[in-house]
Amino acid sequence: MIQVRDLTKDYGSRRAINKLNFSISKGDVVGFLGPNGAGKSTTMKIITGFMAPSHGSASVAGFDVFESPLEVKKRIGYLPETPPVYGDMYVRDYLRYVAALKQVPKDKIEKSVDMAIEKTNLGEVQKRLIQHLSKGFKQRVGIAQAIVSDPEVLILDEPTVGLDPKQVAEIRDLIKSLKGQHTIILSTHILPEVEATCEKVIIINKGEIVAEDSIHNLATMEKGQSRLHIRVRKEVEDMKSLLSDIQQVLSVHLGPSHKEWNVDVQGGDEVVDAISSRLVTKGYGLLELSPSKVDLEDVFLKLTYGKQQGGEL
Amino acid sequence: MSGTLTIFKKELKGFYLNPTFWVICFLISVIFSWVYPIQLNLFSQLLMNYVMQQGVPQNQLNIHYGVFLRQLSYLNLLLIFVVPALTMKLFAEEKKLRTFDLLLTSPVTSLQIVLGKYFAALGAVAGIVLLALLYPVATATMATINWAPLLIAFFGIFLVGAVYAAMDLFSSSLTENSIAAYVTSVMFNVSIWFIGIGAEVVDSERGRKIFEHVSLNSHLSGLVEGAVRSNGLIFFFSIIVLFCFLAERVVESSRWRSV
Repeated sequence: MIQVRDLTKDYGSRRAINKLNFSISKGDVVGFLGPNGAGKSTTMKIITGFMAPSHGSASVAGFDVFESPLEVKKRIGYLPETPPVYGDMYVRDYLRYVAALKQVPKDKIEKSVDMAIEKTNLGEVQKRLIQHLSKGFKQRVGIAQAIVSDPEVLILDEPTVGLDPKQVAEIRDLIKSLKGQHTIILSTHILPEVEATCEKVIIINKGEIVAEDSIHNLATMEKGQSRLHIRVRKEVEDMKSLLSDIQQVLSVHLGPSHKEWNVDVQGGDEVVDAISSRLVTKGYGLLELSPSKVDLEDVFLKLTYGKQQGGEL
Repeated sequence: MSGTLTIFKKELKGFYLNPTFWVICFLISVIFSWVYPIQLNLFSQLLMNYVMQQGVPQNQLNIHYGVFLRQLSYLNLLLIFVVPALTMKLFAEEKKLRTFDLLLTSPVTSLQIVLGKYFAALGAVAGIVLLALLYPVATATMATINWAPLLIAFFGIFLVGAVYAAMDLFSSSLTENSIAAYVTSVMFNVSIWFIGIGAEVVDSERGRKIFEHVSLNSHLSGLVEGAVRSNGLIFFFSIIVLFCFLAERVVESSRWRSV
């Protein structure tokens, strides 16, 4: 559905994105993940035809965004970071306007507007001025304008930013309910959002793709690796040297105090056994030793920040 | 073209359903309601006493010159400041509120965006010109009026308003700050009247003719006297096309400019 080839964009001398390559097939829900300023919005803006790339190409449904922008734009619903709403319009009038702008046939406009209002639960505010709505409602109006033309591709740029937890949950449910009917790209730097809604993740950092896989694969990327959380009664000055002769120990991290440590290990039960018996025989008073799975957050931090910190995570 | 129509309808509604437009109309009618009867009164006094007065120019005894043209020059003065107030939000505010993103990601071309907005601005200018036309129409209840030159004169001032609208639309597209758009627009509107002054300082015959030809004043004066000349129409039309084209280029540039 979406093909991106060698996509590069320069802002003056600063390169925002560098030779991105990825493809998204029909019906996928893809999370576009990265720290602030990684190039997420830039990539999305290029895919929507909002701006042109410096090099490379992108195509949506077989149409190149640069060669035939109008065909691409007909097939895309886009929610920018700030919802593009006119404060002095009524919700319903605004959605009618967007539907007409997106070339929904005249006789179907009312129906599409009803559909969008229903899906985004805007029924009670449809006759109010947008400027009088709360931020959460404005965001929903923004989503409603993106889906009003029933586009094949839906591009949502940080759809839950600045909302309260309840609204965030509502918007996530909404995105889940849109699954299947649209191909969805969702950009965010909030990880639970991706875990809650997406099947596939593209992690981007400093304008380059650092990982592209399904969530399941990413979360268990380092096979056989696990992290142990250790809590002891007495302070341990140097856990690393204490465990240095256990080969399966990969790295040791200090927790909030010298009584709490995180240890990354390779292998299964025998290493847990070895560590626990070491702590017990040395008399540190082992209180807790629990394995925790490497989750998406760790993968994300490792891929985006980890390199700068010399693999400290 | 449906994109143009959609944007046109939305913007026109935006003008006519917005209190600002009606406040402007109200203030204009306050000014005219003060000035116009005074002009009319002066004119009737002049007519009563003209036998006794020597050296009154012949054309001042005509209501077209004595009253209507004065009203038109006031209208022109008002338009210089009012049209920018109407057009300043057309692009500047869209950029500021980021609603411009919606337009740029919708299946409409830059030209359709500019034309939709320009025609809507013309609709608003036409409203103001029609408001001013009410005064001569009201006068028709007490005097005989020669309609053709009157309508042509108002058409002329509408064209001037259309030129302002094109220039102001362009300056609105340049910035996302409405105040900056307003100030630049007024500068544009005022300076187009000053170009013609060049005719008085150049020596060569050719240079003088060029300045006369690009002077808005010389083309408007034909229309206000009731004469429709094709070169005048072409002149107005070219300025409008030029500035709409420039605005279109600016809108299009946001697709590749690195901002």
